[in-house]
Amino acid sequence: MNFAAIDWVIVAGYLALSMVVGIIGKRYIGNVSHYLVAGRELGIYVGIATLAATEIGTITYMYNGELGYKYGFAAFAAALVSGLVMIIVGRTGFVISRFRALKLMTVPEYFEVKYSRGLRIVTGLLVALGGILNMGVFLKIEGEFLTIVSGINVRYLVAVMTVILLLELVYTVLGGMVSVVITDFVQYVLLSVATILVSVYAVHYAGWGRIVEKVTQTMGQAGFNPLVNPKFGLTFIIWQVLLWFSLHTCWQTTAMRMFSTKSPETSQKVMTWTGFIFLGRGMLPMLWGIAALTLYGTGAINNGVPQPVVNGQTLAPIDAMPAMLAQLLGPGIRGIVVAGMLAATMSVNSSYLLGWSSVISQDVILPIRRALGKGALSSRKQIFVNRAANLFVSLFLMFWGLYYTPPGAVYLYLNITGTIFLAGAFVSVVGGLYWRRSNTTGGYAAMLLGAAGAIIPYFFLHWGENVTGFAAFGLAAGGLVFGSLLGRASPVEVPKAATVG
Amino acid sequence: MRFWQLFWTIWLVVAGSSFAFITLMVTIKGGKDLRQMFRDLSKQLAAQKERDK
Repeated sequence: MNFAAIDWVIVAGYLALSMVVGIIGKRYIGNVSHYLVAGRELGIYVGIATLAATEIGTITYMYNGELGYKYGFAAFAAALVSGLVMIIVGRTGFVISRFRALKLMTVPEYFEVKYSRGLRIVTGLLVALGGILNMGVFLKIEGEFLTIVSGINVRYLVAVMTVILLLELVYTVLGGMVSVVITDFVQYVLLSVATILVSVYAVHYAGWGRIVEKVTQTMGQAGFNPLVNPKFGLTFIIWQVLLWFSLHTCWQTTAMRMFSTKSPETSQKVMTWTGFIFLGRGMLPMLWGIAALTLYGTGAINNGVPQPVVNGQTLAPIDAMPAMLAQLLGPGIRGIVVAGMLAATMSVNSSYLLGWSSVISQDVILPIRRALGKGALSSRKQIFVNRAANLFVSLFLMFWGLYYTPPGAVYLYLNITGTIFLAGAFVSVVGGLYWRRSNTTGGYAAMLLGAAGAIIPYFFLHWGENVTGFAAFGLAAGGLVFGSLLGRASPVEVPKAATVG
Repeated sequence: MRFWQLFWTIWLVVAGSSFAFITLMVTIKGGKDLRQMFRDLSKQLAAQKERDK
């Protein structure tokens, strides 16, 4: 066990604080708009906190640490693209300000506003499938981090992660977005302090000169220049630009924060400032991974990099960074860092639970009810359906998340599962908002071809991630254009605001 | 290679310092934002109760 008594006190204190502030949110839930978009009352600073906390989890640290370990400084290209694209989206208001003006609560809701109810249901199903598969790997990888750093016996991994999931579930189910926003604020502050502390420790112990030297010696030019690194190259960068434009505009958990802000202008400011945080969100944990390579990369060469060896034990590259933290951090600091990582874990999981369950309830169950001719549900009943969907997603995650191991680098697995719906959704949203000719036939073609373009090449033909990404976005764009030109022009104009919420 | 070393060093400094600066701003000003959100939500709830009567 690596934990001292002081570490346990810090972690227990953080968990108690999170639960108490999370449950406060329940007081402010009067209708479904409060539950899903916090009554659209988010200001800039709390907006930045909740958006950043939602997209920075232990999973983020783990996959970025793995990228840093395997590909050196060249991996920074992915972080740079994510941050710069976010700043561009924020400055221009591309998609997000029009989305906010429409007063939506979910991304697939737009598909009924612009296209048809049927397409909303299809999109809802694809968004829920891609999103839950994406989130499916979180628990196991987060559990690995916590067991390695704290030294808890791996036998208790399932129990520990189940308890954490249940704690998140309690406040998310009760207080919805209001609880998530309050806890995100506390969690953001804690996880940021932990991020800064670990970065200082990593550079201090590994030494900047040794870090640069190790990458030079191990990877040469490919460790610095993403254009010559065989894993990246120009195609990777272009794919990443496309992917991040779609993530920052159409990813349900990000979009929900934009829908929750006070105004389109506030949503743009939140997005712009969070873009700067996204630079650090990627680059800092990548630096920790490179520091772990410097300190522990002494094993046999595997795929061009030495395997990490810690205390005589050979580890997987993804586990090198947490193993480094377990070795470097002293009592007290280790407690703060683990509490920070728990905060990151809980903020992401609670937001994702709410995000994907809102799609299942609002875009699949409720539209199907209406299509069957059943009357609209009251706001209270809609909240109940959302809470039930939340429980369903949690149960799925407990069984799938703890036993499934993704193939290859986790970052790329997450990219591909996200692309299942993002390619079609992004193309259909941009076409719907900015191209008057786009219609329902084009929307269906984009969603179905985009999903096929991600699933078939990656899972059945075993193509590389870059090519798969291009295939998905290319097919989706082709589907929208040809479908729209072949079908009848949509008679529906984009209304000024959606009717719900 | 020297160019890329310098390039990533500069971006790392930008990323680290902006991360720390924005965290500081959010920590200081986020509490006020949260209190305002509670006030606005309370007003919405009160208006909803009025409508439901």
